[in-house]
Amino acid sequence: MMASSYNAKEEDGHHSGSASHGGAAVVKSKKPDNTAFKQQRLPAWQPILTAGTVLPAFFVIGLIFIPIGIGLYVTSNNIKEFEIDYTGVDMNSACYSCAKNFSWNSTTSCLCTVDFTLEQPFESNVFMYYGLSNFYQNHRRYVKSRDDSQLNGDMSALTNPSKECEPYRMSEGLPIAPCGAIANSLFNDTLKLYYLEANGTRNEIPLVKKGIAWWTDKHVKFRNPGGNANLTAVFQATSKPVNWRNPVYELDQDPENNGFINEDFIVWMRTAALPTFRKLYRIIQKKSSTMPTLPSGKYVLDITYNYPVLSFDGRKRMILSTISWMGGKNPFLGIAYITVGSICFFLGVVLLIIHHKYDTRSTGADIPN
Amino acid sequence: MQPNNDLSLHRIMNTESLDSGLTWEVKANSSFYHKHKQKKSFLCFHWGRYADNVVRSYKYSPLTFLPLTLFEQFQRAANLYFLLIMVMQCVPIISAVPWYVTVIPLLSVLIIRGLKDLANDLARRRSDREINTRPCDVLVSQSFQTIQWKDVRVGDVLRINKDQVIPADLLLLSSSEPYSLCYVETADIDGETNLKYRQALSATHTELTSQPSEEVLSAFDGVVFCEEPNNRLYTFRGQLQWRGEGFSLDNEHILLRGTVLRNTDWAYGLTVYTGSDTKILRNCGKVRVKTTRMEKVFNRLVVGIVLCVLSAALLLAIASSVFSTWVMSHTQFQSVLVVDDNPIYTGFLVYWSYIILLSPAMPIALYITFDMIHTIHSLFIDCDMEMYWQQTDRPAQARNTSLNEDLGQVGYLLSDKTGTLTQNHLLFRQCCIAGEIFGDASVRAEDVELMDLGWNPYSCGNLFMSAPMLVQRLREDQCPISRQFFTALALCHTVMAQWTEDIPVYQAASPDEEALVCAARELGLVFLSRTRDFIVVSELGIKRQYELLAVLDFTSKRRRMSVLVREPEGGVKLFCKGADIVILERLEEDCPHLDKTERALELFAEACLRTLCVAVRSVPEALWGQWRKTLTKAATMATCDRDALLETLYDQMETDLLILGVTAIEDRLQEGVPETIALLQEAGLKVWVLTGDKKETAINIGYSCKLLDPEARLLEWQELREILQSSDPQISFLKGRQTDVWAVGKESAGVKTSLVLTGPELAEFDQRPEWEPTFMKLADQCQSVICSRVTPAQKAQIVRLVRKHTSSVTMCIGDGANDVNMIKTAHVGVGLAGVEGGQAVQNADFALSQFRFLQQLLLVHGRWSYRRISLFLRYFLFKTCGFALVHIWFGCFNGFSAQSLYERWFIAFYTVFYTATPILCVAIFEQDVNAESSLKQPELYKCGQTQELSSPLMLLSSLLYAVYSSLILFFIPCGVFYNTAFDQQTMAVTVSMAATFIATIEVILLTRYWTKINVAAVCTSVVLFFICSRITQSAFLFQRSPIDYSFMGVSEKAFREPVVWLTAFLTAWTAFLPSLTAHALRVVLSAPNKHKVHSVSSHSVELQSKFRRRTSSHRSSHQQRM
Repeated sequence: MMASSYNAKEEDGHHSGSASHGGAAVVKSKKPDNTAFKQQRLPAWQPILTAGTVLPAFFVIGLIFIPIGIGLYVTSNNIKEFEIDYTGVDMNSACYSCAKNFSWNSTTSCLCTVDFTLEQPFESNVFMYYGLSNFYQNHRRYVKSRDDSQLNGDMSALTNPSKECEPYRMSEGLPIAPCGAIANSLFNDTLKLYYLEANGTRNEIPLVKKGIAWWTDKHVKFRNPGGNANLTAVFQATSKPVNWRNPVYELDQDPENNGFINEDFIVWMRTAALPTFRKLYRIIQKKSSTMPTLPSGKYVLDITYNYPVLSFDGRKRMILSTISWMGGKNPFLGIAYITVGSICFFLGVVLLIIHHKYDTRSTGADIPN
Repeated sequence: MQPNNDLSLHRIMNTESLDSGLTWEVKANSSFYHKHKQKKSFLCFHWGRYADNVVRSYKYSPLTFLPLTLFEQFQRAANLYFLLIMVMQCVPIISAVPWYVTVIPLLSVLIIRGLKDLANDLARRRSDREINTRPCDVLVSQSFQTIQWKDVRVGDVLRINKDQVIPADLLLLSSSEPYSLCYVETADIDGETNLKYRQALSATHTELTSQPSEEVLSAFDGVVFCEEPNNRLYTFRGQLQWRGEGFSLDNEHILLRGTVLRNTDWAYGLTVYTGSDTKILRNCGKVRVKTTRMEKVFNRLVVGIVLCVLSAALLLAIASSVFSTWVMSHTQFQSVLVVDDNPIYTGFLVYWSYIILLSPAMPIALYITFDMIHTIHSLFIDCDMEMYWQQTDRPAQARNTSLNEDLGQVGYLLSDKTGTLTQNHLLFRQCCIAGEIFGDASVRAEDVELMDLGWNPYSCGNLFMSAPMLVQRLREDQCPISRQFFTALALCHTVMAQWTEDIPVYQAASPDEEALVCAARELGLVFLSRTRDFIVVSELGIKRQYELLAVLDFTSKRRRMSVLVREPEGGVKLFCKGADIVILERLEEDCPHLDKTERALELFAEACLRTLCVAVRSVPEALWGQWRKTLTKAATMATCDRDALLETLYDQMETDLLILGVTAIEDRLQEGVPETIALLQEAGLKVWVLTGDKKETAINIGYSCKLLDPEARLLEWQELREILQSSDPQISFLKGRQTDVWAVGKESAGVKTSLVLTGPELAEFDQRPEWEPTFMKLADQCQSVICSRVTPAQKAQIVRLVRKHTSSVTMCIGDGANDVNMIKTAHVGVGLAGVEGGQAVQNADFALSQFRFLQQLLLVHGRWSYRRISLFLRYFLFKTCGFALVHIWFGCFNGFSAQSLYERWFIAFYTVFYTATPILCVAIFEQDVNAESSLKQPELYKCGQTQELSSPLMLLSSLLYAVYSSLILFFIPCGVFYNTAFDQQTMAVTVSMAATFIATIEVILLTRYWTKINVAAVCTSVVLFFICSRITQSAFLFQRSPIDYSFMGVSEKAFREPVVWLTAFLTAWTAFLPSLTAHALRVVLSAPNKHKVHSVSSHSVELQSKFRRRTSSHRSSHQQRM
């Protein structure tokens, strides 16, 4: 008792005395403000999660997802797609010899021809893709091996490309245009499609090569240095990429599709997300409303085989596909939606059962109270 | 005296004082000498001895701000880690993402923190300037001039006027009052508002008060030798050398900086310590940093995350080496993929790249946000109207702003009794004089019939005791012993009298003293005034002057105080008052009335009254003379020796006492204490009471504040000891319990046990440390524990015991200086701003005005804080990890090359702009249950004690959830984009969109309290994602710097693709599904529990009323029994 009765006097210790002592105190009530914020009484909506609100969420989501999934799946199934692998791994395949003998160093092209049959006609516009497998276009060292300034028509970057382009930056003392590994490995097979009529004549199908690149890429991101005229002069002091046959200003005859703004080049430069990918090659436009774009029947694909993929176990494919509002064929999305929707529905049912059991038990327990 | 002689004497004195440690030399009126030796510094070199009187509490100067603040901030491991990451990002060969990606979060953290420090520093500078420029009067060549505080130097003679703050530690030379007494208020030093007196040496008093004082003072050439500057506020040792004589100085002669001169027109002082040498500034010690339990767990978790990131990076690096080897053997044209054609080297570089890429998993912004949230929560505590105490105009105060969530997890509340549970507003209710009891404490104080004390001109009428018999005896002078009893009360104290309108108002250091002196005043023995040497008392109208020979101070160890006085008649008497056990053992043999007095002591204790024994001793003149000699000798000794000697000296004097009587003071319970304790116990807190009082008093207070159940079994030391000694304490404890149940009957089937211990018994634990765990286990099962007769050190020891043997958070609450130790030891210390000094508050983490405010502090603020901060931490963990770990899975599809899946700007903005504000709003506004319901349902508090929301398991589950969501984040888009014409940048936008969606949906689910601000925050965050994406991917920025904005046009195109949206939605929903299921499961399973909570809460109200009735009946029965 005494300890507490005199305690204020004995104490030798540690006062956290402040230096700001003795200031003239303004006589003012220290009563806190009665504001909603400070009193933590801000008006608020307080949703209370009950079984009645949570469980329907599962069913509602399930009921939304499953139809979407079905819709996507049907849409995807309606898309006609034809895919042919022309790598030439198999002894019997047409491009076997090309694949075997070809390397980057060859100077002459190797030609091979693949026949195929379309069972069903392709009605609307048909998109022609080339697909590559096991090609790590998303490898960091590959992805960063480019110079966007150079590709955007910057003169100084043309003569002095970014360091990122190493080891495809300079060749024989001249700067490479376009520099870097991506450009260097440009896909350079040429594909030609023929319709084989019943009488055996080959009708070449017109392939449109404009409009395959993104508009922003073609018009903003990629630009030729000093405009599209006189490309030869502009690129004079530069060297072509090591693996290329032709310099960049000879990619196409059309000045609107030459140099850096060549659409095949632009498409290639937009690197793929995953090691198996496809890229838009050409568009086959629908000509008349009555005739299908690609009628069913026999076709011949003429390939100028330039691109070696066998060395890294890669595959090359040619894909013909119609498209819908959701793009190309993509069964995964539809199936995923259906699956997730079903899981939601299933979880809802399970929870409902648990809820039902618990509820009866607890009400049963409550009665004696 | 020969001048030569004087000099040699001086020299001798000088060496002498050096020997005894008095090395600080101050020459009066020789400003030049001290100025020469003033402390100066340049860069890191310091020289000189005396500090100037400038306060420099600021840390930074314009030049040093940047380096210092950066240095401080990079001492935090997290910041340093990110700095290292940033440095690594500047190495081109390994930089997976550019350096500015880390710079944005890091810079924002550094800038916010830096600005906060800067603002604090500017505020400190402002207050420093305000202090440094205060005026004071200094003696310069025979006249006083007003100068600023900062120009005061050691050796200056200052004049302090009434109500002025003292600018430096001064030696009091003389004052306007008789005997050069002067009064100071020390509120700024120790928070005590009572006045204390200081007195000048009689030598300086007599010599320096002659007029004109300026002349005399400027001729003063004394030299002070004293201790080096130190932080001991209550001691001072020194010597004044003046005119060839040495005078010893102690604390009585010193005016400390920061105290205020009161009731004294002016005082002259010699500056001894200035500036940073002053005692108060030496006392601005560092506060021990307390960290919360959750923070510790989280720190460990962060270390865990870093280790995981490092090992994941290692695995990926190994995989990268393998992949590179494969590339080497297969391709020529893609050899660019391998650095220097060396797979091992490539792997090595990839390792660092992955550390960079995965670093966002480590939540950098967390610590700064954490600080911010803590500060806001503390602000809420400061502003709570419910914790504002009108009577003293004092709101609650969160002095430590980093312990908020611990408030929601308190398992043990250890409380002081006096002033904490009780009001410490003391009423003199009863006394026992010569074995006879006067007054009746069973009548409530308000109902006491006030006695007619009109005959006493000094009476104020606040004596709540009815004893006409006593008054009669006193007035008729029938009973010398009762008169002596009250004389003792009027003499034996350290109270100061202050006169207002002819009535003395007492300024006491402790409310007990005040109550006793007031009681004596009411009954006609009026303490009128004191000087250093005399105490004047009016005894029933006759003024008598007692010569004060010595004051034998109170300490918590001695537990008594005495005064030695010479009566006007000439006899020397010792009056002593103190705790019963110390007084009773010092009585003379065959003391009369001893049995009756002891009986009275028991009775008083049972009625919850605080008792003090009052005793007297007539000291023979010879003994006094001898004793005095030893005392003067002791005064010059070194501190530690002196203390030991004084103790034995005092002991010698305080023997052979004759008991006069016992005082009984009522200390009433604070408002709402029983309800608060009941509520806290319902909330699962174990409430312990630690008090210095007697066991009986403590137990009775325990009953009256409902800490002890009337039916509870009190387990005392003897029994406890047996249990502790037995082979299986658990069984014997239960057995003991059962027999008790049988004995009492089946009605008390739910009987509870309470432990009652005393200080000396607790001391046994020192010898038997192996009992501690068992004791704690038993204490855990008991309803409450009461420890009486404990010293402040033991209080802290008990807290340490609890901390050591349980994992619970301990909270201590107290109001006096004796609680400081335990307040500092506990996880959370609460100080009650009460009647006693402000020491407890000064050392506490939270300051309250009333015990019952604990309800609001713990059950509302604590619980909310805990909930908010747990939600915040877990969400933060989830969102940062979930977003960063995607790179591990993506690594498997890009040749383990540390390619980033996201746009660099997205990584930079994600934590800061897209996901920060909604969770911040949750951490600030979230309330699962409003304040009223929190108080009505104390069970809800248990969730914090069991760490339901923040257990390592919960944190781990958040982490697992993050891993799951990162898997979903990658693999669903991967499935969609596999073998399609979509490029990598489109996929990046899709995944970022999904990540933002997941973070947003998750926070929407977490938020249960939707204010407008929450809605706005959620909406802006999502909108900001779209806006920022469009901006960073715009043609405008691309043309400025193609390399930094290479995503040009991607979002523009991607946002038009239905597949992108469908994928993002599907991904977000799938990632969110487990979280929703867990919530739903909890809702479904907890539905019956909720019912239970409601039914209990309605029940408990009923119970409480029953409870109250029963205890009141108990109390009366208790009294009947006695």
